[in-house]
Amino acid sequence: MSLMFSPAEASALLFGIFFSLLLLRVPVAVSLGLACIPMLLLEQQLSLMLLVQETFNAYNSFILLAVPFFLLTANLMNIGGITQRLVRLSRALVGRLPGSLAQVNIVLSVFFAGISGSSTADAASQGRLFIDAQIKEGYDRSFSVAITAVSSVMAVIIPPSILMIVWGGVLTTSIGALFLAGVIPGLLIGVVQMLTVHAYAKRRGYPTYPGSGLREMLIALIAAAPALVTPVIIIGGKIFGWFTATESACIAVLYAMVLSVFVYREMSFAGVHKALLETGRLAGVTLFCVGTASAFGWMMAYYQIPQALLKDILGWGLGPVGAGFFIAAVFLVVGCFLDAIPAIIIVGAILQPLAQKVGLDPVHFAMIGIVSLAFGLVTPPYGLCLMISCSIGGVRLGYVIKDVLLMLIPMFLVLMLVIVWPQVSLFLPGLISPEFLK
Amino acid sequence: MTPPHRATRRGAWRWLSDAWYRLLCILLAVFLAALIVPVSLQIFSRHTALIPAYIWTEEMARLMFVWVIMIGAMVGMRDRLHFTVDIWPTLSPRANAWLELGAGLFTFGFALVFVWAGWEFTEFAIYRISELAELPLWTIHVAWPVLGVTWIIFHGEHMVRMARLAFGIDPTPPPGQVANGPGT
Repeated sequence: MSLMFSPAEASALLFGIFFSLLLLRVPVAVSLGLACIPMLLLEQQLSLMLLVQETFNAYNSFILLAVPFFLLTANLMNIGGITQRLVRLSRALVGRLPGSLAQVNIVLSVFFAGISGSSTADAASQGRLFIDAQIKEGYDRSFSVAITAVSSVMAVIIPPSILMIVWGGVLTTSIGALFLAGVIPGLLIGVVQMLTVHAYAKRRGYPTYPGSGLREMLIALIAAAPALVTPVIIIGGKIFGWFTATESACIAVLYAMVLSVFVYREMSFAGVHKALLETGRLAGVTLFCVGTASAFGWMMAYYQIPQALLKDILGWGLGPVGAGFFIAAVFLVVGCFLDAIPAIIIVGAILQPLAQKVGLDPVHFAMIGIVSLAFGLVTPPYGLCLMISCSIGGVRLGYVIKDVLLMLIPMFLVLMLVIVWPQVSLFLPGLISPEFLK
Repeated sequence: MTPPHRATRRGAWRWLSDAWYRLLCILLAVFLAALIVPVSLQIFSRHTALIPAYIWTEEMARLMFVWVIMIGAMVGMRDRLHFTVDIWPTLSPRANAWLELGAGLFTFGFALVFVWAGWEFTEFAIYRISELAELPLWTIHVAWPVLGVTWIIFHGEHMVRMARLAFGIDPTPPPGQVANGPGT
């Protein structure tokens, strides 16, 4: 089979068109699709229908169903009183620390991350809860927007996580192992974020609440207990094989519904309709992009671009740590321009042979990728969580970028730890279910 | 001033487009809620003896999911939710409108490709049925040309608004319209 374009020409054309269109502010999903078109028209064996067929193949996937389910869980949590209980618990736990409300913001993100697997949902719901409230208490606007965005990224690192489900599905890695692997890096990120807030609060004199007594802490804990069981059900169910990853997301929806309707009794029909509609819209635009990204990925594979790109890199003689840093760097850069799911589809597949060659454990490779891509959710120009927080806070990206970058520095140290010390990711899966590793 | 017959025409068009949008929103919520059913059935049939293990649940869920994505993407076009990368400095409303017009042409072209290739895709599936649930496949494939046409309608409205702004016919930007970024 002779092709019109060499791998180098094809990649220049694909990426050239894609980036030019992005620059013109054409939507990302459209830019990815349009980049494929010249070759679909010019290459004799290809046709425009391939674009449609590839998007269809991408959507016709049981794995991606986890995306709307986790978004819906998050929206149901907000309307059904679950979030409110978790806020109370977070406040009882960390309200006494300097910068109380911002600390509550972070701890709530940790709880939220354990129930929903979507960072965008976290940024949207917590943006509404915290940004204005923090500003009213005297926090700077840019700090408030930045900390809300940055804390939301934990949702894809702490299990359950949409990214882990997609990664596991696309690159055939055990999702159960990924769920366990995310716990320690996710909690570490939570801790360094709390330290960051502490430093800010001390320096800028942000307000501190009076500490809660043991009684309030106990009451808050009992009220939130049914919600706190959710991660155990979801992650336990996945690890013990009661249900698949997508089904675990559906269980999360059902459990959130049961809690809201029967336990907390705060769900209204109008609320459910709103939750469904918001979920559908966000899931639709997010996943539509996955379709065109898959077509883009298909074109790259067709011209054997990944092999061509990797040929040089394999010759560099990188060791596991060097390869880990290289992989993180690629995902960090790509994450600036692309949503995480398309990035996994396009770039994950390119880098997988490199990870294999240097002997990185697939779960370790996945965690390096996922933590790096989580950074991408708040790095401009295309940081979805940051865009959502900015739009709620009523500011442009540039206004908050300094605070975001400052907050990312300690998180970057955690990423380095994840790269250099594989046990940060592999300890829990090795302890609980060693059969998942290798 | 706009002549009365043109204003009526625009009013009728607006009504149609609004009605289509509202219908899509209802379908989106219904399909999304319905998605929970087959996946739940699948879990419960495996762990309890109360319901038989239907083989069509997984396929049913996938096919409804395709429609959820496509309708979500259609509604998202009217709500200007499709994500863009913005590295431009703050522009005047008029300059912004010109940029939107330029970018909009590409989105328009993309929608046309979906109508054209999507129609071929639908014709291709006209006599085919799905493997397990035995659904006629064209009912799924038709989502592609429908998305193309819907985008042309919704995006077309945006383009007309931007053109009026760019050419100074209607100098006020539409209220609540965020030129860029998610509206969530």
